[in-house]
Amino acid sequence: MQTVKMVISGAVNAGKTEFIRSISEIEVVSTERRATDDTRMIKKETTVAMDFGRIAIGPDLVLHLFGTPGQKRFDFMWEILSEGMLGLVILVDSTRPETFRETNRIIDFFISYRDTAYVIAANKQDRPNAWSPEELRLALRQPPHIKVLPCVASDRESVKNVLLELLYVIQERSEE
Amino acid sequence: MALVGNIRDFGLSDFLYLVDRGDKTGGLYLSHGQETALLFFERGKLVMAVRRPEDQQPDLLVRLGLLSENQLARARASLAARGNGATLTEVILAENLAPREQLQGALQSFSEEAVYSLFGWPEGEFRFEQNQRPDPAAPTIPSPISVDHLIMEGSRRIDEMGRIKDRIPSTDLVVRFLDQPGVRIKGIKLSTEEWRVIARINGRDTLAEIAQKTNLKEFDVCRIVYGFLTAGLVEVVKKPVPMPLARGGPAEMSRVKRSLVNRIINRIKGM
Repeated sequence: MQTVKMVISGAVNAGKTEFIRSISEIEVVSTERRATDDTRMIKKETTVAMDFGRIAIGPDLVLHLFGTPGQKRFDFMWEILSEGMLGLVILVDSTRPETFRETNRIIDFFISYRDTAYVIAANKQDRPNAWSPEELRLALRQPPHIKVLPCVASDRESVKNVLLELLYVIQERSEE
Repeated sequence: MALVGNIRDFGLSDFLYLVDRGDKTGGLYLSHGQETALLFFERGKLVMAVRRPEDQQPDLLVRLGLLSENQLARARASLAARGNGATLTEVILAENLAPREQLQGALQSFSEEAVYSLFGWPEGEFRFEQNQRPDPAAPTIPSPISVDHLIMEGSRRIDEMGRIKDRIPSTDLVVRFLDQPGVRIKGIKLSTEEWRVIARINGRDTLAEIAQKTNLKEFDVCRIVYGFLTAGLVEVVKKPVPMPLARGGPAEMSRVKRSLVNRIINRIKGM
């Protein structure tokens, strides 16, 4: 059985758990605890280890989805999770500009060492005052070739679209 | 829809960058305690910036010594007669009530200083009302000014290392030019110190190494590079570290077979 991995990352409360939950075929494995630090201000329960989802591609192939912990003190997990990943989805809470710098830090981390295929999902586009994907591109200083996609993490079709767009990026870079 | 936030979290230079790159038109309202500010942009360029509500009024032109009371009255009467679409600034120029260079210089300087003073705000709520324009009678700058220049000069005036550290957390980072900085360089005036730093940017040296080679303090180099960063001229990156090939690097990506990717695409499409 071959497994391939995609990583879903983003700042605290960007919607990583919900994103994986919307598409995974298994009940998402999350390690959620009561937040004991400043994240409590945002979320009573937040992911402190990681989320894990799974999609069977065929009898011999399975896709694993890993959600990274959002808090800075778990940075060390990111490198472990990113080893051997096929691609990366960076989720952004489009309604909270205070998280954009942290999002940039996460993008920098993942792309600084590896030639990582990634897309940015502008989550919570169904909320009032959500920054549009193009505004987010400017705010996050992303070049035109990086896809910044509208997203509602609770909507399966929206999540499918984000994953497909990432796969098209990977497809372009793959070998025959 | 308004863009709202706090410049503590999304800095003024970040917002100006967004306005510039997005060719935004609209009004940016800022407040910090008792202080307020209002900036108007037209297609990414600044047309007016004031720190006090009364400075949006036409009599600012008299206070700045650009027009006499009589000239202002005449201009206002002409504006009223012209009706929709015209602005007070256009009327003043059309009727030669003040030389263009003088009007440009004084209003540009007034607005620039208003913007620079905002760079010192540690925080402040902002609200950007897209497509909002100044009142036709407001004293707008005849030729809107580039936001690049504001970012550069505003950043020069920042002396808080904390803010710089948000973008440049370490002097061990390497500075390199962006792939296409050419357009951005237009209109930017560099000081002697900035030229010394820019001449040393080679994509290999760290900020600390640049400081050593230019005999500048590390803080000064960080401050200068911060200005380049916010203007979109350069980027700072970690010094490349050789990664073991077996643990996922570019080589790993090249091993991904298109057939495998296609299988995953088909599966996701069918879900």
